Amino acid sequence: MDMFSNIALGLETALTPINVLYCFIGVFLGTFIGVLPGIGALAAISMLFPITYHLEPTTALIMLAGIYYGTAYGGSTASILLNIPGTSSSVVTCLDGYPMAQQGRAGVALAMTALGSFFGGVFGILVLSLFSPLISGYALSFGPAEYFTLMVLGLIAASAITEGSAAKGLAMVVLGILLATVGMDPQSGTPRFTFGTLDLMDGLGLSALAMGLFGISEVISSIRTKNDEAAPASARSVTMRSLIPSRDDIRRSWMPMLRSSTIGSFFGALPGTGPSIASFVSYAVEKRVSKTPQRFGKGAVEGVVAPETANNAADQTAFIPTLSLGIPGSATMALMIGAMMVHGIHPGPKMMTDQPTLFWGLVMSFWVGNVLLIILNLPLIGLWVRLLTVPYHLLFPAIVMFIAIGAYSVRYSAFDVLTVAGFGALGYVMRIFAFPAAPLLLGFVLGPLIEQHFRRAMVLARGDLMAIVERPISGVFVVISVLLLGWSLWSTFREAGKRKLLESEN
Amino acid sequence: MKIFAAAALAFAAATGTVVAQDFPNKPVTIIIPYSGGGSTDLMARSLATELQEMWGQPVVVENRAGAGSMIGTAYLSQQQPDGYTLLVNTAAHSTAPAVQKDLPFDPKNDITPIGMVATSPYVAVSGANVKSEGFDQFVAEAKERPMFFATAGVGSSSHFSAELLIQQAGIPADVVHYSGGGEAQVNLMGGHADVYISTTASVMPYVNNGQVKALVVLAPERFELLPDVQSSGENGVEGIEIDGWLGLFGPGGMDPALVEKLNADMNKAISTDRFKKVLEENFVVAGKTTAAEFKEQVEKEMDLWVGLAKERNIVAQ
Repeated sequence: MDMFSNIALGLETALTPINVLYCFIGVFLGTFIGVLPGIGALAAISMLFPITYHLEPTTALIMLAGIYYGTAYGGSTASILLNIPGTSSSVVTCLDGYPMAQQGRAGVALAMTALGSFFGGVFGILVLSLFSPLISGYALSFGPAEYFTLMVLGLIAASAITEGSAAKGLAMVVLGILLATVGMDPQSGTPRFTFGTLDLMDGLGLSALAMGLFGISEVISSIRTKNDEAAPASARSVTMRSLIPSRDDIRRSWMPMLRSSTIGSFFGALPGTGPSIASFVSYAVEKRVSKTPQRFGKGAVEGVVAPETANNAADQTAFIPTLSLGIPGSATMALMIGAMMVHGIHPGPKMMTDQPTLFWGLVMSFWVGNVLLIILNLPLIGLWVRLLTVPYHLLFPAIVMFIAIGAYSVRYSAFDVLTVAGFGALGYVMRIFAFPAAPLLLGFVLGPLIEQHFRRAMVLARGDLMAIVERPISGVFVVISVLLLGWSLWSTFREAGKRKLLESEN
Repeated sequence: MKIFAAAALAFAAATGTVVAQDFPNKPVTIIIPYSGGGSTDLMARSLATELQEMWGQPVVVENRAGAGSMIGTAYLSQQQPDGYTLLVNTAAHSTAPAVQKDLPFDPKNDITPIGMVATSPYVAVSGANVKSEGFDQFVAEAKERPMFFATAGVGSSSHFSAELLIQQAGIPADVVHYSGGGEAQVNLMGGHADVYISTTASVMPYVNNGQVKALVVLAPERFELLPDVQSSGENGVEGIEIDGWLGLFGPGGMDPALVEKLNADMNKAISTDRFKKVLEENFVVAGKTTAAEFKEQVEKEMDLWVGLAKERNIVAQ
């Protein structure tokens, strides 16, 4: 019964001219920053944070939040057009987005991404407005044991992301996990592989690693392979008609959108996970349930829609722990809480009742923002595609510059810029020897979570391994992991058997 | 004219007092060794705003986060001691060096403590699994079921204050490290860990929302802003005379006259009505120290933590 008055109050707040204006500024900046490789929401929000002192808290939050979820819309653009992810949660989008662009279907990929993003965003907002208290209650029951088993399940599920040699894919996952061990040991404080430098105490940066491996290495290999007029002819002659997805594209995409929205909403609502993991897992799930998994990695529209739907849903549900527990799930969310604390507001379980105008105004502004984003993004597709006609000798130096600025600006660290360069070189070497980079990033994202939560779970269980299996939620995750692993092995052997059979028949 | 200017410059350089009177004549940078949005970040930004108005020069805030505040501190140690680069840090300034052995600077000589911005005692909060209301009950409960103290990370002030309470009160407990105070407290709410200790600024929002319970104030006496919460002293626990604080620092080897001026300006800035409101919102009181008193306290704490790290075998080298 209260729901309608809450929604009315929220809309009333969100639709005041000043709030719509700041919402537009936020999502516009967000899209723009998302498109630029390397500069993420964190850097942009940090730069604009001082503005919050001079604005109404609701208005300030509406703008900062707009930047945050706006980047997820823009993040896919460079992934699809240039094979360079705009943000680390758009890395997976490269896998099928870029092949689509090479086939002259960049417009379709961008349009489907915008639709998927909108769908995921809307789904996330619904979850956020209807089930926040319920979900934050469930999130609390996730302790270290649950996180550990969930991340193991994620790793097993997402290992399907590998293309080509399984041995190389596995090697890259392990290398990612190894790279993630750099830094201070989370339970004993012993420095690991830091070579006596403070810069490595907190480990290597995710964003720096992703931008190096995917962005810089793409630029390096383009220098060798692409000449200046290499822009696909299809990009030059892009018409509005070519942006329209075929009926087949839509038919293939709506189920992935639904599944990925659910996956994205789940990971977004858990503090400490988030859009990157959501994008990996949703891609892997689509590849597993697909009747034609061999299309993935070669321009499957599901492979573009799934991660982009998931990361947008995750961006919205990330506000659940932030607003209903007062716990920031990421550095960006910490800034959101800071923007409220500036005005003496501490988010928590009483937020909905104590600050209904702020809570519902913010949530309703997400609707406004998502509608603005889809209006903003669909017509812009033609413009973005035309970006491909910019000569590479102008485009690529600009990209390298943005990546360097993005890496430096997070903590004013020249070391982070060198990290990007180092991983750019590694990424290029990996390309030459056909080692896939996505599994490395997967290992790097999940490795430290698996380690930290396992070590904590072991302290809390006083070293009893069985405690992980005995807890109901983590027990279920263990069972699913074992089943999934067993099924994967079985189907691999069956495939191998079939192939042998075929060979002997020939 | 040129000769006169050069002579004036030489004179200024020789005396130093002139430098202090002249300060500041260009923008000042305040480093926050944490990423944005936390209570330290917000209080430091408020201080920067006050100083900017007082000085009539831009006071720019830079977040140089990492290594438990030591990346920002190391950067500070390499800057000119001219007062144009300052840093605001918590008691992590004195705890982190006790676990990080290979710092590229000497924490006592390469950093100049200028003054204490704010202070409050440490407060232990308990989570969903702890049944006790008061501290005496809690110690009895811990004898039945050994407790888990959550920290914000190895070498953080929440880690050292937990070790100190466990040692001084003889509580059967283990320490489990999280990545930050938010994650530690969400684990308290879910009943995965039991107790978290930090300053009022980081725990009181959750106490007021009823998400965690204030168990005990780590001090000989009760804290003026939390009169209903028992102190460790009244429960017969001795040897806990440390408080959480927020302090202003400069690079090592600063001119004493400049330190005095900065200390005076800082004390003026924290007594404005606007800053008092910031203090109130964070449940802290204004720090009232001279630079010398602050330096003495910081160094005393550094020695205490190094000793405790040895006794409790915290450093895994």
